[in-house]
Amino acid sequence: MIEFQDVTLAYNSNRVLDRVSFTAQFWDRLAFLGGSGEGKTTILKLLLALVRPDSGRIMIDGEDITRLSESQLRPIRRKFTIVFQEGALFDSLSVRENVAYCMREQGALSEEDIDEEVRNLLRKVGIEGAIDLMPEELSGGMQRRAAIARSMAAGEPRMMLYDEPTTGLDPLTAENIGDLISELSAGEPPDRRGSIIVTHDVTAAARVSERFLYLKNGRITFDGDLPGLLNTDDEELKKFIDALFLLR
Amino acid sequence: MNLRTLLAQAQDFYALSARSLLGIFHRPFRVRETVEQMDYAGSGSVLIVILVSLFIGMALSLQISTELAALGLKMYTGKIVGIAIIREIGPVAIALTFAGRVGSGMASELGSMVLGHQVDMLRVFGMDVVKKLVTPRVLSATLMLPVLTVIGDGAALFGGYYIAAFVSHQSGSFYWGQIAEIMNFNNIVSGLAKPFLFGFLIATISCYMGLAARGGARGLRQATTTAVVLSIIMIIVTDFLLTQILFLLLGMQA
Ligand SMILES: Nc1ncnc2c1ncn2[C@@H]1O[C@H](COP(=O)(O)OP(=O)(O)OP(=O)(O)O)[C@@H](O)[C@H]1O
Ligand SMILES: [Mg+2]
Repeated sequence: MIEFQDVTLAYNSNRVLDRVSFTAQFWDRLAFLGGSGEGKTTILKLLLALVRPDSGRIMIDGEDITRLSESQLRPIRRKFTIVFQEGALFDSLSVRENVAYCMREQGALSEEDIDEEVRNLLRKVGIEGAIDLMPEELSGGMQRRAAIARSMAAGEPRMMLYDEPTTGLDPLTAENIGDLISELSAGEPPDRRGSIIVTHDVTAAARVSERFLYLKNGRITFDGDLPGLLNTDDEELKKFIDALFLLR
Repeated sequence: MNLRTLLAQAQDFYALSARSLLGIFHRPFRVRETVEQMDYAGSGSVLIVILVSLFIGMALSLQISTELAALGLKMYTGKIVGIAIIREIGPVAIALTFAGRVGSGMASELGSMVLGHQVDMLRVFGMDVVKKLVTPRVLSATLMLPVLTVIGDGAALFGGYYIAAFVSHQSGSFYWGQIAEIMNFNNIVSGLAKPFLFGFLIATISCYMGLAARGGARGLRQATTTAVVLSIIMIIVTDFLLTQILFLLLGMQA
């Protein structure tokens, strides 16, 4: 169970989140929507305790993570994995080494087993051919696929976090990434792996999520399902999801 | 920037420096990363250090032998050039070169890893970022700068010899004889204590600045510039303080 309780965060004097509260289960499929700079990425970083809130509590399975040290956070972070907007691949390592990274660090598997697993994961995300390329040789879509494979190799996350997974990709590639995200969170609750995607791409969010939260001026102004989102009477939000209507 | 954030940053910096040292004593030892960094900081800097030192030695020798010749004392060129290089100019000039090449590299590499979320990714994967990224760099700089200083001192002395023997027409063997004479405990300790501290300072400052980088390309520029400028200032100031401390410890007098 994930709980944000009155979380407030400001960078210098710029208040990004203002008493944000919500709860979610690990098997939920959430989407945070909002314009640029509304604090979507910040929500994911808070959830992983990569930044700490100024006030409020963030509870993961009943434990307040805002006061834990880096080493205490290790088991908490293991419940998640994140795919950052640009992939955040280690740029001095090849795709193979990137995906193998965590398995090597954990040191539990032999080199052959690691290689086998790397190939499996790359096949799963559909870029087996790129195994020996360096990150800078990959297209944006391939980088994100490689990053997803690397995250899957880190262990058995209970929830996947995606930061703008489709931004900057052509519609077809975006759709493919969306399918991949759905596939990784397939199944029935509570047995499936949940996902949180933060994006301003409403179409992509609608494809992979069931619950939608809209961030505006540091607050959650909408929290509901797709029909609710489409029939909202909030003028701001209406404008924001116009793109979705246009596509239909 | 107000005093409070400045103090908070100083505190973060000391914490980082201390933790980077502690990382040496705890498993897992990052041997591969450390060797890689030593190669980058050490082997990678040898040529530029030799080049810079050679010319400094030549210029110094030219200046000093000309002055001494006017006094009829040019046979002492070796002694003065040697002391100046071993105790003072060598360690400082080579540390400045090192700050420009290696310090800037560390700050910009770590900075771009921060901005590209690679550092966040390491934390999500449960790595100790200080141990993984900072300790190998601090260790390699602290160990390699003294080695580079010995090499650079050698090159500078050779540059001094070249000018003394072939431009100022002095006896080459007399020059080296004087150099041998000044190679005593006090001079060697004075010259070699400094680069250990300089290397440590350059690496900790540069890693700190790199990890503190925020805000895109502009932030990266700022981080790199600050790392090099702060390193340079710290080298010069510490050099003066350290010289005084060494004078005290070695019982020398001005
Ligand atoms: N490290 C930081 N230092 C200062 N300000 C920051 C920092 N990180 C984020 N901000 C500011 O916080 C606000 C929210 O940032 P965040 O990255 O969460 O937005 P976002 O909703 O993900 O936007 P985008 O769609 O552009 O990615 C922005 O105004 C940004 O300028
Ligand atoms: Mg963002």
